[in-house]
Amino acid sequence: MSVYSKPITFALLSAVVILVGTFITLFIPMMLPSTQPVSDYIKPYTAIELEGRDIYIREGCNNCHTQTVRPLRTEVARYGEYSKPEEFAYDRPFLWGSRRTGPDLNRVGGKYPDSWHYKHMNDPRSMFAKSNMPAYGWLAKRKLDTKYSYRKVSILGYGYSESDVRNQIEEYRKKVTSADYPARAVRESVTPPELRSELTEMDAIIAYLQKLGRDVKALKKKEMRMVAEASPVTASKRNPFAGSKKAAEEGEKIFKKNCAVCHGEDAEGGIGPNLTDDKWRYGNSDSDLYTTISEGSPNGMPSWKGKLGNEAIWKVITFIRSQREQD
Amino acid sequence: MKENGYDYSVVRGFAFSAIFWLIVGLLVGLWLAAEMILPQLNLTPWLSFGRLRVVHTNGLAFGFALAGIFSCTYYILQRLTKVPLAFPRLARFHLWLFNIAIALAALSLFAGMNTSKEYAELEWPLDVGIVIMWVIFAINVFGTLIKRKEKQMYISLWYIIAMTVTIAVLYIVNNLEVPVNLFKSYSIYAGANDANVEWWYGHNAVGFVFTVPILAMFYYFLPKSTNLPIYSHRLSIIAFWSLVFGYLWTGAHHLMLTPLPEWIQTVAIAFSIFLIAPSWGSVVNGYYTMRGNWDQMRTNYLVKFFIFGITFYGLQTVQGPTQGLRTLTAFFHYTDYIPGHVHMGTMGWVTMIISASFYYMMPRITGKELYSIKLANLHFWLILVGQLLFTVTLWIAGIQQGAMWKATNPDGSLTYSFLEGVVALYPYWKIRLIGGLIYFVGIVVFTYNLIMTARGAGVKLAETRAQTA
Amino acid sequence: MDWVDWAYLAFGGALVAVFACIVFYYYKPRRKRHVEEPKYRMLDDD
Ligand code: HEM
Ligand code: HEM
Repeated sequence: MSVYSKPITFALLSAVVILVGTFITLFIPMMLPSTQPVSDYIKPYTAIELEGRDIYIREGCNNCHTQTVRPLRTEVARYGEYSKPEEFAYDRPFLWGSRRTGPDLNRVGGKYPDSWHYKHMNDPRSMFAKSNMPAYGWLAKRKLDTKYSYRKVSILGYGYSESDVRNQIEEYRKKVTSADYPARAVRESVTPPELRSELTEMDAIIAYLQKLGRDVKALKKKEMRMVAEASPVTASKRNPFAGSKKAAEEGEKIFKKNCAVCHGEDAEGGIGPNLTDDKWRYGNSDSDLYTTISEGSPNGMPSWKGKLGNEAIWKVITFIRSQREQD
Repeated sequence: MKENGYDYSVVRGFAFSAIFWLIVGLLVGLWLAAEMILPQLNLTPWLSFGRLRVVHTNGLAFGFALAGIFSCTYYILQRLTKVPLAFPRLARFHLWLFNIAIALAALSLFAGMNTSKEYAELEWPLDVGIVIMWVIFAINVFGTLIKRKEKQMYISLWYIIAMTVTIAVLYIVNNLEVPVNLFKSYSIYAGANDANVEWWYGHNAVGFVFTVPILAMFYYFLPKSTNLPIYSHRLSIIAFWSLVFGYLWTGAHHLMLTPLPEWIQTVAIAFSIFLIAPSWGSVVNGYYTMRGNWDQMRTNYLVKFFIFGITFYGLQTVQGPTQGLRTLTAFFHYTDYIPGHVHMGTMGWVTMIISASFYYMMPRITGKELYSIKLANLHFWLILVGQLLFTVTLWIAGIQQGAMWKATNPDGSLTYSFLEGVVALYPYWKIRLIGGLIYFVGIVVFTYNLIMTARGAGVKLAETRAQTA
Repeated sequence: MDWVDWAYLAFGGALVAVFACIVFYYYKPRRKRHVEEPKYRMLDDD
């Protein structure tokens, strides 16, 4: 009698057949270190970041945003350093996603200042007029529930004590409610008065977004500084378009499209500083400006070298200079 | 038609549950499609895209497809074993449990209780409920098989057994999680491992929900409704074993170029290419069954559904493996091309086969003829046109999107900002919405036709007999 | 080639061999009648 006449044998045989591939591609990798690498420079989430991550999961952000930068040239240019396995050692569940209706977020931490995120989350179309992202202003109207925070970090084995967790929460509350929090004005504009001195779900999700990729970026910066210190002074850079009217006009277009959301339509300032005055945080020479634009700044200015390229950056600088001269 | 003591109440119950969840899931899908062009439609937290998309996928994969599968399984099982269900009362309990579980699933997903793992979003208490439900189903499947009068099990029963076993393994392994409270849990796996487990599950949920049981229907209802034997039984044997063996290796084609170890990705691609063979084994088997009888495409309204259905399956199983290849995945992964792929399978293959199976079963359950063949034909054309408009549009959209993401200027900088890539897709998304609406109208016609049939509005026994025999 | 490559090759070869055996078994001409018989039986009234 054949196996087609014995249901139980047939079931057992199919179980064996499906388990071969399962065993080799699933159970064996689980035992290998290559799927679970750890690294000292990747730090676990704080209790607040973890609460933010849980809100990200609850709202299903992963249905539109991925969190893996693939090792492809254009992808690295758009988002930054490609993702490494050790970065996800604390991610349970993983949030790599499968659809990119919105951009990848694995390197978004530190790309923009907090104030940008408050504005953007509250009304995405205020930053990108044609974005189709839902508005999440209501997150700022809900107090963050931290009842399970300790329980969560202990299940995940992050190694914080109960008082560590309490401190993390209190410190973050102090940070975002303090008078000199840089994003204070925007935060207050989206947060109802009764919650301004509390932590909201909005605060937590922004804390989480700012954590994404930050450890990798910090490591990268450290490496870069080491290289810079070891090498002799780099050749000074000069603007090839200096004074050209045409370049300034083209630069203006590029500026309006990319920079104006933060620095204002006429570079008068907003989330980012005014670019028409004499105050420069990172130096005023052509070469300083070039570096600030191409590499970004620690306070939230994104790096533009991948997106704009050499020529466009110089044109923007020509435009900024021309603004100054008009006054 | 109770002459053999067959129990059809659950067959009918699951059929109408499937239709109900289909309508719900499609309304949600239409809302989603509209939200992608009109973000103002994200009116409330529970209507926001991120939460709603999960209701759509779960509602249709589990509410609609799974109910359709249960309905047809309970029918095929009794017919092919020639005995009534082993535990009819348990089957009725299964029907109730299923609908309660899906309703709670929808509510909890609307409320944002979800684990984020695709097609396994339900939180742990519902996971427990679903495992219990699956055991109840398995008891009936194996109980009936053991009691059977027909010694050798026909092809469809192999597929049903494979599904019953595999879904249990998949669901349990992927959903292992540590509860925080009643509404929240964390996966026991981390990072790359969690991804590997999830897509091993995800791909095989597609394989063992959208493929294996649908093939069970195909292998039973096509010969039955044409009265032609399947072309090759031995080909179906080879195709069956290679399919169930090959599927489990391929999950990582969803994770190409991610931090997952490279060898797992390579193995997944090799097996994905291999899968073309057994998939086309079934396609060829279907086509050759019709050899010399292609006129039935015109004369027998059911044949269209089966032949177009298996054709879409054939297209999908070529498209799937190719879009996993490293060079192509670099281009297509994460774009709209993938929802294009998905919906040809779901709106083409899965819906067409389930629809035709219901049309075949319903008259045999109620003892009354199909209410209207005209409406069945209208239903066919509407879902065909709607689906093609939807999927072909999204393929083109995906190609454009992929090209825009990759475009660079001579100096190596990117040509388009991310947002320019979004804006360029609005026209395609509008066409997709129109395609979805046409398809939806087709499903409304289907529903009406089936309800009228079940209520016994159709008569004229001789006419339809001639058409389907 | 190191042992991993050999293991890959051996495993791949084994899979092909199993596959070939199954095909040869079911496609033996003298088994044809027997193997194909169920497809007619399923068409009988059930
Ligand atoms: C041999 C058969 C098939 C292969 C090898 C295959 C391959 C693939 C691949 C590689 C992807 C991922 C694409 C990406 O994210 O870049 C995918 C996605 C998908 N496929 Fe297929 N496919 C096959 C048949 C089918 C069939 C018959 C269906 C039935 C409906 C289907 C439904 C899906 C779904 C739902 C997804 C989306 C998963 C997600 O990202 O959420 N596939 N398929
Ligand atoms: C009126 C018909 C339909 C419409 C308008 C529709 C709409 C949508 C939309 C807008 C998405 C999200 C796509 C994205 O994120 O880019 C989606 C995803 C999905 N839909 Fe549908 N849908 C329809 C029919 C169906 C049917 C009948 C099924 C299953 C039986 C189905 C299963 C899915 C699945 C599995 C996904 C996830 C795809 C992925 O992850 O790549 N849909 N649908």
